[in-house]
Amino acid sequence: MASKDGPTHKLSRRSFLKLVGGAGALGATLGMAGCGETAPSDRAAGAQGWMPSQYNVPAGWPVQVRGRVAIAPDNPSITRDSEKCILCGQCVEVCKNVQSVFDNYELPFKEEIICIHCGQCTHWCPSGAITEVDETDKVLRAIDDPDKFVVVQMAPSTRVGLGEEFGFPVGRNVERLQYAALYELGFDAVFDTNFSADLTIMEEGSELVRRVLGVNEHDGHENNTLPQFTSCCPGWVKFVEYYYPDLIEHLSSAKSPQQMTGPLYKTYYAEINGIDPRKIFSVSIMPCTAKKFEAARPEMNSASRLKGDPDISPDVDVVLTVRELARLIKRRGINFNDLTEVDCDKIMGEYTGAGAIFGATGGVMEAAVRSAYYLITGEQPPPGLWELTNVRGLDGVKEAAVNIPGAGEVKVCVVSGLANARAVMDRVRAGDRSYAFIEVMACPSGCQYGGGQPRSSSPPSDEVRTERTAALYQIDREAKLRNSHDNPAIIALYDNYLEEPGSELAEFLLHTSYTSRADKLTVKRIQEPTLI
Amino acid sequence: MANELTAGKTFGALVDIPRCIGCESCSVACKLYNGLEWEAERKYLTPEDRAVEPNKGLWPEDWTSITQYNPEKDGARTIRFVKNQCFHCDDPACVSACFSKAFQKMPEGPVIYDQSLCVGCRYCMLACPFDIIKYEWGKAIPGCRKCQMCAPRVAQGEAPACVSVCPTGALFYGEKDQVLAEAKRRIAENGYIDHVFGEREAGGTSWFYISDVPFAAMRFRTDVTTKPLPSYTKSYMAATPVVGIGWAAVLAGLYIYNNKGKDHLD
Ligand code: SF4
Ligand code: SF4
Ligand code: SF4
Ligand code: SF4
Ligand code: SF4
Repeated sequence: MASKDGPTHKLSRRSFLKLVGGAGALGATLGMAGCGETAPSDRAAGAQGWMPSQYNVPAGWPVQVRGRVAIAPDNPSITRDSEKCILCGQCVEVCKNVQSVFDNYELPFKEEIICIHCGQCTHWCPSGAITEVDETDKVLRAIDDPDKFVVVQMAPSTRVGLGEEFGFPVGRNVERLQYAALYELGFDAVFDTNFSADLTIMEEGSELVRRVLGVNEHDGHENNTLPQFTSCCPGWVKFVEYYYPDLIEHLSSAKSPQQMTGPLYKTYYAEINGIDPRKIFSVSIMPCTAKKFEAARPEMNSASRLKGDPDISPDVDVVLTVRELARLIKRRGINFNDLTEVDCDKIMGEYTGAGAIFGATGGVMEAAVRSAYYLITGEQPPPGLWELTNVRGLDGVKEAAVNIPGAGEVKVCVVSGLANARAVMDRVRAGDRSYAFIEVMACPSGCQYGGGQPRSSSPPSDEVRTERTAALYQIDREAKLRNSHDNPAIIALYDNYLEEPGSELAEFLLHTSYTSRADKLTVKRIQEPTLI
Repeated sequence: MANELTAGKTFGALVDIPRCIGCESCSVACKLYNGLEWEAERKYLTPEDRAVEPNKGLWPEDWTSITQYNPEKDGARTIRFVKNQCFHCDDPACVSACFSKAFQKMPEGPVIYDQSLCVGCRYCMLACPFDIIKYEWGKAIPGCRKCQMCAPRVAQGEAPACVSVCPTGALFYGEKDQVLAEAKRRIAENGYIDHVFGEREAGGTSWFYISDVPFAAMRFRTDVTTKPLPSYTKSYMAATPVVGIGWAAVLAGLYIYNNKGKDHLD
């Protein structure tokens, strides 16, 4: 039956005849009604649909997982098409048991729905109901605006994911095709976040060395708190702000790679090329939905603050996930597979193997150890530090001990997945100071299976994780330079602009501070035991 | 029909407002189980949008809805979500207003609607004190639509679809006296406002609400009488039986006339 109201209730021939018949014999109907005949429950309206069988059990019976996560309409990262939702409970499963976010608070909520924006639920949702918030229109508008100079950066793990959207095997590195696609889309300059990752290592590594030596200062006060935590994962950072606000001092003040180069495009790059920073629109391609949240943090406008110019837009204007980039390429009718490989803009695109492995769990740690060795000893790290196998692999918690002359044995820890982080954090909170440096990524196995990467299986599979991770280490192995501090573009950046890691200007543009979100939730009174 | 789990029992449900996270699993479950349509213009309404709609987001294809309010609690703005649906009154005004018995109160609790008995007079809509019933104005064969408390599930001893999916325990279901006892236990345990909305409103209902912020701050109808409503409608109907039946016959006739000759078949 088609009507102008669109697809309406399918009224079967039988029920229609029943209806007309009943109404036609009007007297009889009214008479029947008058007799007070009780309609049985199965003549009630509705009940013509379907429910997952887990719910078709007597009331009060246990059901493994119920319902779905709550997503605030103003969540900057994820959204949901409820029409596709089948109430399977997979999002609750990952949010609660893998990320230890859902249900890790007392109800009622205070002023917001608790979410750290990791986007893992977009991978677990079997029906594709939960997705990233699509911002491709904003980027197309900027590209089509002749007044805007649109720059783009692409994160380490995006190149080992994007190919899957165009039929390449899992884990194929399509870096140079991706650069080409970005130019083809009309971006005015294409940069590589691998460069930014090298820069992060310089700032974060120097900070670590200063903390170890007891001379670190940030925001006008001494902060030599150890262990130092990585701060490049915005999901993890928000998790600390919610659940471990007392450990905020442990977080490195260094911004994430995305947020380090964001302001540099609007300052350093703009100055070199004589571009009005007010015209620069900065886009980043990320494997991550939490990066959308990070870019929208109000303090992420250092370029505008440095120049004292409110007309300079936020350091990163729009974040697109890899899935959105694929959509953009398809929307613009670009045949990805036929593109000719090109290079990106080298001034902020040159990178080392150390920057490339940021996308794998343990990668930041490995890169940091290489440069920390150099910063402490003044000597190049031994090749043994180029294969720190203890911190590689898919395990949720990994440890290593590194001998650095002058600093002795340095113990480090690498965590991915926030339920795993909880276990380690509880030890730190209890006073465990055995580690000097702890790397945490919210997404299990790191950014290569971040919440914005192609959905290759639902839930995510270790096979795909292993392939993508292997591709990242391959880049490192084949790189000419493997230490961040050897990156000539980084050296030039310090020589020509920032002076040295931790300089006043570097502090202003490349470091940040964090806010406790303790008042946004009531931490659960009884902590459930977490897995390790 | 009732089975050995449900025979002779009356059921009820509790909405524990502070425990609701606004996930809308309940309203999705209602759509899934009842086969209700997703209408493009309403699909992306937010709980805050619905909270300012006159009908709180209840439409013919939306039998339950979540609304969001931002009341103050201890001096700070806070968020609270409220699930809306038919209250399934003990002595329902809709049932007594419906002379053709399209509305019926089931012994297990649900107040159901059987479209095959409906003549389209819409007295039920006028009678309902909570403005729950929605008429399908745009439909060729319109009916009155509202939550049925998943009567077939309830009759079999299953919880209503919405209750069965709630991930937080904000919805609780069981025999009515147990549900009331649970409501009072939760009020005492959490220091909620000492009022079970629905216990006495409209003469008592099957859906109860408890809250830590005043009900009036969340558009609850706090002026509703505690006297069973049919005691009013019955006297009204008794005084005008001929007019009532006569008018209904006209409406029913018009209804048949209007739908005659239209092809609504599959
Ligand atoms: S984005 Fe992460 S924290 Fe937010 S609901 Fe999804 S899984 Fe949970
Ligand atoms: S995982 Fe997706 S389909 Fe399943 S309950 Fe969550 S949103 Fe719905
Ligand atoms: S709330 Fe309204 S529709 Fe529901 S049973 Fe009561 S009177 Fe009838
Ligand atoms: S009881 Fe059934 S019909 Fe009523 S709101 Fe819940 S799911 Fe919908
Ligand atoms: S399912 Fe439960 S928690 Fe979710 S919106 Fe409905 S009542 Fe609230």
